[in-house]
Formats: sequence, structure tokens, C-alpha cells
Amino acid sequence: MRHARCRIRRGVTDPRGGFVLVFVVFVLFAISVAGLTGYLLVSSEHELARYSGQGAEALTVARGGLERFAAEQLGVVPDTVSYALGRGIATVTTRKLYTVDPVTDMYYLRSEGTVDDIRTPDAPARRVVGGYAVRRRRPVRLHAAVLITADDIDVTDPGEILGRDQQVSLGCSTGGPPHLTGAIARLGVTEDDPSAVRGNPDYELWPGGWSGIVDSVGVRWDVITDPEFPVDYENTLPDFGALPPDSFPVIRYTGWVSAGFSGRGVLIVDGVFDPTTSFNWDGIVLAGQIDDMVEGFVDGILIAGLEGPNPYASIDFRADVNYHSCYVHAANESLSYLELLPNTVFELN
Amino acid sequence: METLIALTLSSLVVLLAAHTFLVQNRFHATQRLRTMAQDNVRGATELVAREVRTALADGILVAGPRTLTVRSPVAVTLVCSRQGVPNLDVYNDGGEAALDTEEIAGAARRDPGTGAWEAVNAPWTALDGSTADPAGNCAENGADTTGVAGSFHRLALSGSFFSTNPRSGDLVMLFRETTFEIRDSELEPGSLGLFRAAYGDPPVEFATGIDTSMRFRYRVAGGGYSDTVSAGALASIDAVRLTAAARKPPPTGGAADVTFGWTVTIPMRTVR
Repeated sequence: MRHARCRIRRGVTDPRGGFVLVFVVFVLFAISVAGLTGYLLVSSEHELARYSGQGAEALTVARGGLERFAAEQLGVVPDTVSYALGRGIATVTTRKLYTVDPVTDMYYLRSEGTVDDIRTPDAPARRVVGGYAVRRRRPVRLHAAVLITADDIDVTDPGEILGRDQQVSLGCSTGGPPHLTGAIARLGVTEDDPSAVRGNPDYELWPGGWSGIVDSVGVRWDVITDPEFPVDYENTLPDFGALPPDSFPVIRYTGWVSAGFSGRGVLIVDGVFDPTTSFNWDGIVLAGQIDDMVEGFVDGILIAGLEGPNPYASIDFRADVNYHSCYVHAANESLSYLELLPNTVFELN
Repeated sequence: METLIALTLSSLVVLLAAHTFLVQNRFHATQRLRTMAQDNVRGATELVAREVRTALADGILVAGPRTLTVRSPVAVTLVCSRQGVPNLDVYNDGGEAALDTEEIAGAARRDPGTGAWEAVNAPWTALDGSTADPAGNCAENGADTTGVAGSFHRLALSGSFFSTNPRSGDLVMLFRETTFEIRDSELEPGSLGLFRAAYGDPPVEFATGIDTSMRFRYRVAGGGYSDTVSAGALASIDAVRLTAAARKPPPTGGAADVTFGWTVTIPMRTVR
């Protein structure tokens, strides 16, 4: 005990005891400051790089949103649409700016891409792009009540094709042309009853190749039959009673479609269209191929053989197809689409 | 004896600590230089990429290894009403307030048939029109002006401004014209700098400490990269490759320079 007290006393009085300690503490402090400064430098650089990357990501999201909207848009142009793309959100807003003619409008599309960072939730990376698009309001060009890229259409009882407008005062003031050609085939249109095919003229023959005929229709067949392309209903019919009466949805069926149903709108058959006697449709029917026997009833128009030369060269036509300008007009509007003008997309901020 | 041991041990500790400090200090200095080099490279890349990326078709005007002139849109507007020959009522997102009018080097008209732009240089003062009612005129032509009346503006272009007068429905671009040049730095003599010059303005040095290996290269559609593109082939450039490099002398003698660099390919995505 005595010995310990003696050591303490001696340490307190030793004049060299604190020098190394003070020096080492000072050096450690200097090292810490240098290290901290280095860390701050590197971390701020890292942060800058991160923000820069998020800005680039937001730009990509904005551009992606703009392209996606223009590519997928079908029918009525909405004011605002949002997409979750990658780690960001693209908000696309539209504005109609000019009416070129009754079937063509010019639109401005604005897409704002934002990428959130959980560390700075109030200040997401944000980039905006704009671009201009043409809206084709009624893209299907109306040539005939029935247009089939087969060699012959043979209209047999009870079949009837009327290219004269059948609409009777439905308040449809913006309908299409009053009279169409009755039927169009490649090489021949025959009829059992001389009044079975009526129109202006009754029929036409388009002997040209399949692609020429399809191009003249104006349908983006490869786009609207792409399984990734969104349509209102896929392989199913809506409850038409629950829809507003002026709603003409786009419905797509795939494969061999033995159609015995009723409905309205645009019916797209990506496969073989085989309508039965109970088929009843108001609007537009677009089919990749058509069976050699056609039955049913259409108030509108029927265009078939869009996929390629129809596998059946001669069609036994027993259906009743009457051109109805109001239904066709409304269904055609459902197929309206936007075409982004090349060389017009620009960055706003 | 006790004193000797204490002195030796304390000397060792002091030496170790000093050595650690010096190593840390050197590391810190090098790190700082590296950061500066990275800053220079990143700044130069961002500066060039932003304008190259936004350039529309025919947007590259000069393409050399050390010089690049780009025409890029400040805004693309749509003519929604034409009031006589000189007055075009246009839609411009955000209106005049959204325009950096100092940067505007001219206007270009898009040929609706070919999609090509016909550009004419002119300052904003020569393009800006009266403060009439462009929104009202555009509304008569079907424009939805609800809530954005301020985004409509009038441009006044003389009858001979373009070879063909823009019509309603045409697009008119307000563009900037920027020249990037890599040459001797004014801020850091002995190294190169990246200079940016807006149309009609003297060049301003934006990045310093640039290495001599920094240069521009160009990809022509269907071909490889080359340092220089002839005037006739400028329109077919679809990507600009920037080899950005920075160099800083070492903090102490005898060590190698601190360098940093990367190669960035900037596709001209709006050229479609």
C-alpha cells in the first residue's frame, strides 16, 4: 500500500510524463480531421454522381412514358396518364392544339419523369420532355360494306350486302359517307339474287395483291393484333348493358373464332373469323382470315383477309351486312390513334 | 537506462504517428486531385451530352476532333393560327417565361412532308411578336386553351424569313447554337480547357485541367466512328462519342500525374 502511493506521487511530479501523450493525441486529431475531410469530399462526390444518375434516369423515364403513351393510345385521348417505369413514374399530359381537318388533329404531349430517392423524398429527380403528335381520328378508310381479300365472294340466299347507309335518324350528325361500294373482292362478286348486293357501285374488283388492298384500308393490323397492344377486351365480351349506349369498345379475339354472339364496337379477329347464324354485330369487324362460309348479321362493315391472302379463295357469303354510318363512325373513332411526329421530341428542362 | 528506454519508445511512437499523418495527408491530397479531375470530366461530359442529346435532325453543324457546333431546340412550338404573313400564333409550353431568350439563336421551320428543319439565325428580338390574343386565335382553330393561355405566344417573322411561310399546323423551333471547343486553358495555364460559346457570344471556359487525349468522335449512320465528318455527311451523324479526360500534376514531386477519364457515347435520340 505504501509502495503504490509512492508510485503515484512520482508520476505526478515527472516532467516528461505528458509530452508523448499530448503529441499522439494531437496527431490523432489531425489524422481524424484529414480523414473526415476526405470522407466528406468523397461522399459529396458520390452524392453528386448519384443525383446525376437519377437525373439521367428521370429523363429516360420521361422519354419512355412519352413513347409508350403515343404507341399504346387508342380511342379517346385522355388528359393525363401515369406509368410506373423502372424506378420512376412518367406522367403524360396531352393538349389538343389544332384541328387540321375533320379526321385529323394535332396534339402536344408532355411527359414528366420523376425518380424518387428515399433520402430526399421531397426533391425527386425530375425531367420533362415534350413532343407533337397527329391524331388520326377515324383511321379505317371506308371503301365497301364488305371487303375480303379472297378471289371470289359468292352471295347466296339469305345473304345480302348493302352499301347504302342504313342509319335512320339516330342523331348521328357526323357519320361517314352516305353510300359505299357494296362488296369488294379480288376477282369476282356473284349473287343468286340480282338485288343481293347493292351500293355505289354494287361491287368492285381489286385484282391487285393482298398488301396493296390492305394498305388501302389504313388499318395498323400488325399493331392492333400484337398481344402486347392493349385493347378494351381480350377474348371476352363486355356486359354491353353496363356500358353507355355511345360506347363502342375494341374487342380482340385470337385463334379460330366461331362467333355466335351479339355486340357492338370494333371486333378484331386475329385468326379465322367463322360467324354463325346467331352472330349479330353493330360497328366494324376486322378479321385476319375468314371462313369459306359466312353467316350472321352486321350493321356496319366487314373487312377480312388482313393477315395475308385468305386461305379460302371463294367465300360462300350468307350473311346480312348493311353499312350503317353511325355505328361505323363511332367504332372507327374507337380505333383512333396518335402518331408521334418524327424529329419533334425535345427536352424542356 | 530508464530515460533511454522512455526516449526510444516515445521516438518510435512519434515517428509512427508522423508517418501515419504524412501518408494520410498524401492520400488526402491525391484524393482531392482525383476528385477535381473527376469533377472536370463529369462537368465537361454533362455540358456536352445535354446539348448533343437534344439536337434534332441536321443538328450537328461542325464536327471536328476538338470543335463541335450543335443546334438544339430551346423550344418546339406549333403554329395554331396565322394572322397575316408575319404573325404566327404559336403554342409554347410555359410561354415566354419558360424561354431562355438570351440563348435563342434563331428559328427553324419543319417541313411537314420531309420532316427536315429549315433554320434561319436571328435574335429573339427579331422573332418576338406583339402581345395580341394568340390564345383566342388558336382556340378558334380548335386549340384547348383552358388554363394555359399564357403558353400561347406570337412570333413575327417577315414574309421572306423562311423559303416557305409556315402555315397553321406547322412546327417552328426556337433553337440555340452552341460551339464546344477544346483548347488551351485560360484559367489553368499549361492544361487544356473546354470552352462553350453561345451563338454570337465569346467562348467561356467551363471545364479546366483537360488532358490532351480529350476529343470528339462521330458515328455516321451505317458506318464507324471518325474524328472528322465532312459537311455533306453531317446530317447522317447519329451519335457523338466524347473521350473526356482530365489530368492534374501530383501533389509532390516524383509521382505520376493524377488522371481520370472515360469515353461516353451520346446517341442523338431525338433524331428519328
